[in-house]
Amino acid sequence: MERLMPRIMLDFKDVVSGYGEKDILQGFNATICQGEFVGLIGPNGTGKSTLLKCLSGLLPVKSGVITLEEKDNTSYTQRERAQMIAVVPQSFDIDYDFTVEDIVLMGRNPYLSYRTKESQNDYTIVTEAMRATKTLQFRKRLYNNLSGGEKQRVIIARAIAQEPDIILLDEPTSALDIHHQIEVMELIRNLNLKKSMTVVAVLHDINLAARYCNRLILMKDGRVVVDGTPKDVITEANLKKVYEMKMFIQENKLFGKPEIIPLRVIKESEDYRSLRIHVICGSNKASQVLEELEAMGHQVTAGVVNQGSDDWTICDVLGIPMIEESPFTAISSEKQAENLAVMAESDVILISDLPFGHGNIANLIGLEKLTGEIYFHRNCLNNDFTEGQLEKRLAAIKKQKKVNEIDDHQEFIEKVKALTLIEEK
Amino acid sequence: MKNSVKKYSIIISIVICIIIIYVCTLLGVASISFWDANKILLDQLFHIDLGMENISAGAVAIIWNVRLPRIILAFITGGVLAICGAAYQGIFKNPMADPYILGVSSGAALGATIGIVMNFSSSLFGMNGTAILAFVGSFTSILVVYNISRVGRKVPVATLLLSGIAIGQTISAIMYLLMIFNQEEMTQIMFWIMGSLNGKGWGQVLTVLPYVIVGGVIMLTSVRELDIMLLGEETATQLGVDTERLKKKILITSSLLTAAVVSVTGIIGFVGLVVPHIVRLVTGPKHRVLIPFSLLFGGAFLILCDTLARTVAGQEIPVGIITAAFGGPFFVYLLRKRKQGGA
Repeated sequence: MERLMPRIMLDFKDVVSGYGEKDILQGFNATICQGEFVGLIGPNGTGKSTLLKCLSGLLPVKSGVITLEEKDNTSYTQRERAQMIAVVPQSFDIDYDFTVEDIVLMGRNPYLSYRTKESQNDYTIVTEAMRATKTLQFRKRLYNNLSGGEKQRVIIARAIAQEPDIILLDEPTSALDIHHQIEVMELIRNLNLKKSMTVVAVLHDINLAARYCNRLILMKDGRVVVDGTPKDVITEANLKKVYEMKMFIQENKLFGKPEIIPLRVIKESEDYRSLRIHVICGSNKASQVLEELEAMGHQVTAGVVNQGSDDWTICDVLGIPMIEESPFTAISSEKQAENLAVMAESDVILISDLPFGHGNIANLIGLEKLTGEIYFHRNCLNNDFTEGQLEKRLAAIKKQKKVNEIDDHQEFIEKVKALTLIEEK
Repeated sequence: MKNSVKKYSIIISIVICIIIIYVCTLLGVASISFWDANKILLDQLFHIDLGMENISAGAVAIIWNVRLPRIILAFITGGVLAICGAAYQGIFKNPMADPYILGVSSGAALGATIGIVMNFSSSLFGMNGTAILAFVGSFTSILVVYNISRVGRKVPVATLLLSGIAIGQTISAIMYLLMIFNQEEMTQIMFWIMGSLNGKGWGQVLTVLPYVIVGGVIMLTSVRELDIMLLGEETATQLGVDTERLKKKILITSSLLTAAVVSVTGIIGFVGLVVPHIVRLVTGPKHRVLIPFSLLFGGAFLILCDTLARTVAGQEIPVGIITAAFGGPFFVYLLRKRKQGGA
């Protein structure tokens, strides 16, 4: 029966806290149950670390209540709290020559009075903690001589030796390379799964958070923006509220978790004159060129693209206006006319690297009558499934207009840059 | 295996300290022969009479009532200053911390100056008036420093150290002012400030001994928490240490210990700063080992310095000069050696 009702480990009710006059947390609310792996995400300065400090007794709350295992957090002594909560900080240096074992043994402090020496039982727990974190082999080495990843494992071993119910992590991977990042996260997930330890982790890496946590709390300005599963939280709408930047979210097929691809924060638009550029695309190779043109501040349009193609997705994300056609459908004459109308208004038309077939060759109808400059990616000729129609169309266009041929999209970008760069005086 | 080495090393160190005490008791300006000195010691300590009839009462007094208590007081003083320094360096996480850092020494010096200037000569519990005033002065200055830096229940370390320096300077200014207006006593005051074990007897030993025993035991009960404190106050809190309580405990213990010692011997510098560092280089940072070895090494170091102070020149040299003159270069040597070792 008890299984049906998970035990509530932590409950935050309108928690306000901060340093001095300044309130960092401004009414934080959440309830965390036993066995959850909660990731706190959000921009710098939104109070994620402050929350952990309040929880571990370093910072008093100004108003609101934190309930830790059914009792008010302020009613515990530091010693009692340390038996329930262990903290793994970001990275951790010490000025003194302690051995790895010394450091891990300190995790037993909350259970030892000043009269008792560490017992055999304490040493067993410490050895077990070091084995679990694969630090046992360097127990006698000096902590200071270890690498970043090894140090972090030692600190996790210390946290395990504390035998806590809840483990708090403050950006545990931010100083580590990817191998050690994954290693640390896997270690923590094991603790969470095998010992049903409740984990609350401040994480900057949203992808890491989405992958390992079963619940995410997105914070901004000391409050909860969204709280839910990674799928619920990692959406463009949510993240845009919090991080001011362009990003792209897709499902990582390997883990079945949402994945964020940050695009850019700073626009280059100030440096370039804006042009109307139309990109003929619709497969999967034009994403980068679309994004770069958009970032340079040009008025980018695209067409005709089939819905669901990669180029369509990126246009959708970036808000690039486009002429759309249903998936796997040949371009209809209406869409072709619409596309031509847009191109008639454009300064530059790019025929991007794209396979041509009977379905999309209509994109090139009428180009010879346009005023805008035409750029053509030569690689199209290598992916020609039109039985000669593409070359015929191209020849027809070339008869009346100059067609600039390029070998890759970067070359095009450079040409556009040269064309539009605003000279600084 | 390493543990057994450690166990033996503490016994070996105690034996070495006893040998130092013994040898230094035999050394001195008064010409008392090696055998006579041994006979006196055996007679006084164990009541073994190997023929005391040829030995003058003066010689007995010199060995038993002058040299031995002085050496034991030197041992206690050196040891106390060293363990207080070790504990302060631990809780303040500051390698520059020494027992005088919170103004104990300036307070004591002002108290002693007042005592000397006013020719305060009554005595209490084996302490003369100057010593009592020094004790009161040092303890008052600590209380002032502590209360200035206290914010609610907390005592931030940085504020504590800074107000210690500020109060120390202020008190010193008052003391120098008193010295200027009382130039006849200036030499006496200067000698007191430089610290000396000259003319100290069993009375002084018995005065400071209770503090040392109680204080030492309190220190030893805090060793694990002091270790954890070296990881920083936040981490210590998260590992269940009541850091404010620990700070208070160490502060009160150390200042009482230091005040007791300083009021009797004057300000003996350098031992409290350097000895813990030297010991730490050998034993590592764990206080369970650091505190006992600091006591032994600090004690032995001060005995040797004091023996030099009373034998090397025709006239007594204040022992504070010797401690600094020898401790400083030795410490520099150790630092450089460690740097080359790459540790």
